[in-house]
Amino acid sequence: MSSDTGFLYPFLEAEERDADRLLADLAESARAKAAESAALRRRTLAECAGLIETAAAELARRFAAGGRMYVFGNGGSATDAATLAALFARPPAAEGVRPLPAWSLAADEAVVTALGNDVGFDLIFSRQLIARARPGDIAVALSTSGNSADLTTALAEARRRGLYTIGFAGYDGGAFAAEGTVDACFVVRSQSVHRIQESQALLGHRLWAAVQRHLAARPNGGGPR
Amino acid sequence: MTVNTAVPERDEILLDETGAKDLAAAALTLARRFHAGATLWCVAPSWEPHAHHVAVEFVHPVIVGKRALPAVALTGPDLVGQARLAVRPGDVIVAIAAAGDPQVRSIMRRAPAWGATTLWLGNGPRPPAGAADHVLWVDEDDPLTPATGRFVLRYHLLWELTHVCFEHPGLLTPDAGGDCDGEVCVTCSDEGRLAEVIGPAGEFGGTLVRTATGEEQVDTTLVGPVAPGDLLLVHAGAAITRLDDEEATR
Repeated sequence: MSSDTGFLYPFLEAEERDADRLLADLAESARAKAAESAALRRRTLAECAGLIETAAAELARRFAAGGRMYVFGNGGSATDAATLAALFARPPAAEGVRPLPAWSLAADEAVVTALGNDVGFDLIFSRQLIARARPGDIAVALSTSGNSADLTTALAEARRRGLYTIGFAGYDGGAFAAEGTVDACFVVRSQSVHRIQESQALLGHRLWAAVQRHLAARPNGGGPR
Repeated sequence: MTVNTAVPERDEILLDETGAKDLAAAALTLARRFHAGATLWCVAPSWEPHAHHVAVEFVHPVIVGKRALPAVALTGPDLVGQARLAVRPGDVIVAIAAAGDPQVRSIMRRAPAWGATTLWLGNGPRPPAGAADHVLWVDEDDPLTPATGRFVLRYHLLWELTHVCFEHPGLLTPDAGGDCDGEVCVTCSDEGRLAEVIGPAGEFGGTLVRTATGEEQVDTTLVGPVAPGDLLLVHAGAAITRLDDEEATR
């Protein structure tokens, strides 16, 4: 195989000229990777089930007391952070489901570029937390490496300010797991950025569902806010 | 609403055989379009972050050494107008939306007149047959599916498979076969081409329309008065049918 995707798809032949053969191989590759993702998702859920409950109970307590959630990440993880914030803030309408105050900190182009340009990229999220966050709030960082400086800086700032801090990471958890600034660290144990993100999305969904369940179980339905 | 929070006893089937075939065909089409110079336009009206995620995936690959490809998220109001302005003949539009999304339905109907190839990823009830060139569907009828990572998996795989196709340069040219699906194939058919009305053609009369090959002037006598945005079928310089919404989505 002539290229650097050879290690991803070792059974594909570079010499073939038959589109049907390529399509069959692509489909087989896709199914194998989907199965790999499914296995990682189940393994991750099993490993993190206890932590999801712990974190959800604390989030429910904070939301019920008027806490707000700030979610952030870089690149694809920034979009996954935005999806998670949207799930909390604008869940599909259904009985027993309540919208909760959550924002993606990468959403405002004026704020992100102003901070990045004037004080440095590593401070784009921490400076927003300094301006907006209060002690009862929640900070959630999404990363695959767990090492991005803008995220670790923001988590440290959040911790100093009394926020509950959640980190999503891959590989071995990186700095999120090592630095002691993350209250709940969800580590997806994989070496693939894509597979890590697919499991993180499911973890986020399960965390949201558990928060909703905890809020619904509170004597006053989680209010007042 | 009941949301299952238990750890599943066995692995989910995230991609069945049909879904994998659909994804493979979409990836080959996308690779061929990119090879010919296409830009990928991404829309996701209800879950905009997915449009951004697809775009960043192609523009800034996670695997070092993979080529950056032109992909752009369209977000905010009037996605139909944005897509109309952005799309050039040969481009690709990927929509991430439910089958009933009115803006995506409109974009998908108009895409052939803009010369664009379409991919539609979503869940719940499927779009009608032929609504997009490639339908990549998650057959799970849950409004929360877009937030569970299932869509992320699909477009991650789309990116991975597209880059595998680049390793097969002999299969990337239009005459390599396997990429012509009949009536939407511009190179195979000039019968009843789709056109979108731009406006009156000026002093010589007729109507200026946009088709897959560019702008042209057509005679609309047969179909009566037309307005900008109307969709027509044109043949040999004349509009022969007007498409209403029902016909176009069938």
